[in-house]
Amino acid sequence: MTTTASTRAVVTGRKSSDPFRPAGPRRREQLVSWAFLAPFLIAFALFLVWPILHGIYLSFTDQSLTGAGGDLVGFANYAEALSDPVMWQSLWNTVWFTLLSTVPLVALSLIMAALVDRGLPGQWLWRLSFFMPYLLASTVISQIWVWIFNPQIGAANNILKALGLQPLAWLQNPDTNMLSIVIATVWWTVGFNFLLYLAAMQNIPPQQYEAASLDGAGAWRQFWSITLPQLGPATVLILILQILASLKLFDQAYQMLGGVASDTTRSIVQYIFESGFVNYRFGYSAAISYVFFALIIIIGVAQALVTRRRKVQ
Amino acid sequence: MTPPLDLSRRQFLTAASLTAGAALLAGCAPGTASGSPTQTLQFWHLLSGGDGVTMSQLLDGVNKAQSAYRIRPTVLAWGTPYYTKLAMAGAGGRAPDVAIMHATRVPGWAPGGLLDDWDLDRLAELGVDESTFPEPIWKKGIVGGKRFSIALDAHPFVLMYNTDICDAAGELDSDGQLKKTSSPEEFLDQLRAVGGSAKGHALSYGYLGDGAQMWRLFYGLYAQHGLAIELPAGRQMGIDKDAAVETLAFMKTLLDGEIAAAQNDYGTAVAEFATGKSGMLMTGVWELRTMQNAKLPFDATMIPTLYGTPAAYADSHSFVLPHQAHADEHRRDLTYRFVSDMLKGSFGWAEAGHIPAYLPVTESPDYAKLLPQAHYADAAQHVVYDPEAWFTGSGSNFQGEFGAAVQGVLLSGDDPGAAIDRFIRRVNTLLAQPNPADPEGKWK
Repeated sequence: MTTTASTRAVVTGRKSSDPFRPAGPRRREQLVSWAFLAPFLIAFALFLVWPILHGIYLSFTDQSLTGAGGDLVGFANYAEALSDPVMWQSLWNTVWFTLLSTVPLVALSLIMAALVDRGLPGQWLWRLSFFMPYLLASTVISQIWVWIFNPQIGAANNILKALGLQPLAWLQNPDTNMLSIVIATVWWTVGFNFLLYLAAMQNIPPQQYEAASLDGAGAWRQFWSITLPQLGPATVLILILQILASLKLFDQAYQMLGGVASDTTRSIVQYIFESGFVNYRFGYSAAISYVFFALIIIIGVAQALVTRRRKVQ
Repeated sequence: MTPPLDLSRRQFLTAASLTAGAALLAGCAPGTASGSPTQTLQFWHLLSGGDGVTMSQLLDGVNKAQSAYRIRPTVLAWGTPYYTKLAMAGAGGRAPDVAIMHATRVPGWAPGGLLDDWDLDRLAELGVDESTFPEPIWKKGIVGGKRFSIALDAHPFVLMYNTDICDAAGELDSDGQLKKTSSPEEFLDQLRAVGGSAKGHALSYGYLGDGAQMWRLFYGLYAQHGLAIELPAGRQMGIDKDAAVETLAFMKTLLDGEIAAAQNDYGTAVAEFATGKSGMLMTGVWELRTMQNAKLPFDATMIPTLYGTPAAYADSHSFVLPHQAHADEHRRDLTYRFVSDMLKGSFGWAEAGHIPAYLPVTESPDYAKLLPQAHYADAAQHVVYDPEAWFTGSGSNFQGEFGAAVQGVLLSGDDPGAAIDRFIRRVNTLLAQPNPADPEGKWK
């Protein structure tokens, strides 16, 4: 075998891992494939790799949006960020929002999908109406919910009054404003998770349900023993997507609160925006971004460990 | 015979992409060069809604009146988005020829070299100088001894009142204007009287989730004590805490659910007054058009002087020269001319509610007949702006921070002293940070 390969290498004048392919076309093929990849690679390098590297550099400078500054200041920005109570509060707000929103967004979408898949008539109508809010732009849902939460004439307070309860300043009261944003966000994005769950449920072979009913299993039994176990992979996917989406909290909160710096809802992304684009401190803003980046990496590693353990089991 | 376009598919695609690329690059090329008869001047502003319509009319007017220049306006969203873009254009040295800024934002910008200063001699030749502006408005445009902004107007926070309701309550004097009150108690009595004849509340004041609205009323009343908040860079905020607490407590008194709704946002308050349900509205002059369109019987006046010193919280839309790396002298000349034309034509701007800064306009007999504008024109002599610091001014975080600190007092009766302390702490944190436009403090 070795002789054949080396003979071949002598004949073609080059070493090849695949001795049965002529040299020319393969090289050409590689070029073509790189050419097809080029548009993506250029965009990837320009808009992802470069900003990440440049952002790290910026975080060590006192660069301002106004063009002033730009001198290296070492770890001063990081030191300031780690001792900045507003930074920690914003980071906590983001984490708190993620906890508050992920649980209902996963649980509700599962319930909605189960109802549509098994029980309710007129499936297409439910599918459409559950998914429709997801199609709206964040500006639109923000406006809708600002009106619903209006303390004087909003629907939410009208419902409270009809129930004989005290009206609330939903978005303005620091005790309720985060909850209000969670409610609006759940209404807005639950449709996407619902659709993923519904697709996963419809992939479960109907024969299993038939067999189960022949064995005398009721609807609940079937749900617990057939549906739920087979939704495992879908749930992991939905959880990951949902946590990442919730960590990005910014636009709906910013728009619903009209940009008021509320200590109870200011997310870390909003604080990055405020530092960079309102207070013009690019260097500081970049440093906070990398503190947040560290948090995301921790979550990513934790999630990778959890999924690996699942696979091993 | 060769076909007219003998290209292979590849050649064609190459040629097409090159053409597209060239067109894209051409789009980046700078505008018309100096020398052609009519110059197009780039003008950026942040006025939309009713103000935007009025501004377009004024611009049409100055464009038609001469042929030396043509203004090409660019309108950007009010607040942070506008200022971010203008700052970046100035930082790149390829800014528009002229732009509108709030006078309160100028002190934060001037040190970074984002703005070019105005030449007073060139302005004086065009009839624009110190004598043609109310003193506080003229002074506001000076930073570090140089003139960086020329005010188009002052837009104070005022008191609008429904003349039918106030008349029924017996609170109008013989001229048909609101009776003067000069202490918090008198004003509260007047409000209670007005409340008796209004269907809704005596007063509409929207503040929820709106730091600017809370700050406007607060700082106007605080300044009526003859005081000002000092924000020295790198040091601590200078504030008279007793006066601040008194002012905040008074604001809370208004929001008792009887005089004014305890929980109102800006839009709801404006709607309450515009539909004739309430007797008075505390708002900026820019809502004048809204009330005129609602066909409401109303008049407007300065916020009554309750603590001794007349003061009207205001800001000014001002003309600035964003920094251009290679300013063309001829275009600069035309820019000066444009600003002078606008000031002289600012009677139209008064119709939008704003008080023109240019005195020959407000001192004209026509203006005296323009009601209700003429009834609050005296506010221009008593304007009080945001305290100066790089982080203050309209559309900045400062007013939002104030709102975050004190909203609990107005909404749920939290302790005013604790709220003011919180505001002081937060502002001191900002004071400790360097001005990002001048991080080393080299300017001046």
